[in-house]
Amino acid sequence: MLAAEAWADDIPPEERLRAHQYQVLAGFLAAPPDASLLALSSRFSGNDSELGRAAADLALRAGQITPEAASQEYHDLFIGIGRGELVPYASYYLTGFLNEMPLAKLRRDMASLGIARAESVKEPEDHIAALCEMMAGLITGAFGAPLELAAQRAFFDRHLASWAPVFFADLEKARSASLYVPVGTLGRVFMGIEKTAFMMAT
Amino acid sequence: MKKEQEATATKRRDFLKLAGLGSATAVASAAAAVVPAEAKEEPSAGRAGYRETAHVKKAYELARF
Repeated sequence: MLAAEAWADDIPPEERLRAHQYQVLAGFLAAPPDASLLALSSRFSGNDSELGRAAADLALRAGQITPEAASQEYHDLFIGIGRGELVPYASYYLTGFLNEMPLAKLRRDMASLGIARAESVKEPEDHIAALCEMMAGLITGAFGAPLELAAQRAFFDRHLASWAPVFFADLEKARSASLYVPVGTLGRVFMGIEKTAFMMAT
Repeated sequence: MKKEQEATATKRRDFLKLAGLGSATAVASAAAAVVPAEAKEEPSAGRAGYRETAHVKKAYELARF
């Protein structure tokens, strides 16, 4: 594995910002928001772009909600009893079932990129949070050298492009969503930005 | 060839900035804090992830901006 330190300084600022955006999304989607994530996101600010307005909306809601209520919302959205309102897995969105070909494809790509699943994790890897974490890691060089943009684009196209925008739009409109409405907006808009920006680089 | 590449890279950089990526959620001092909180989180229902080696954690630290 190449030392990430040798490459980290070469990552352009706008690429780091992409990684940060993925990390923010992963932070909200991997687990119920705790007090520190809520406090942190309550300080987000945005410019007058769709992304910026969503960030400001998220900051507002994060500043008003309790960790208990946020946790309940996360539970209703993604856990439920048997299943939550939404099932945030690529396999589910693309085939209607969990643990399908999209997961198999992802595992092959993870293996060739040197990305391993944490041993203690039981859930399938094609969860939206895991995919966001992977994109962030590919940008910053967490799994070896930072991945060149063409390869990042290939990963994005194969594992996110076809379903993540739909998932985030579903999140925006979910019955149980309140704090997570702007998370959905951030995700949907960011997926569109990624799609367009990749066309400008590769 | 190099000039074309630079022009494309500039176009991409300008687009990312214009799209709001430069300001949205980018609270500089807080950015680093998002990831450590995430990285230390115990795996819970709904979480799937990658192996969290010291290498990964270091990369997270270096991703701060």
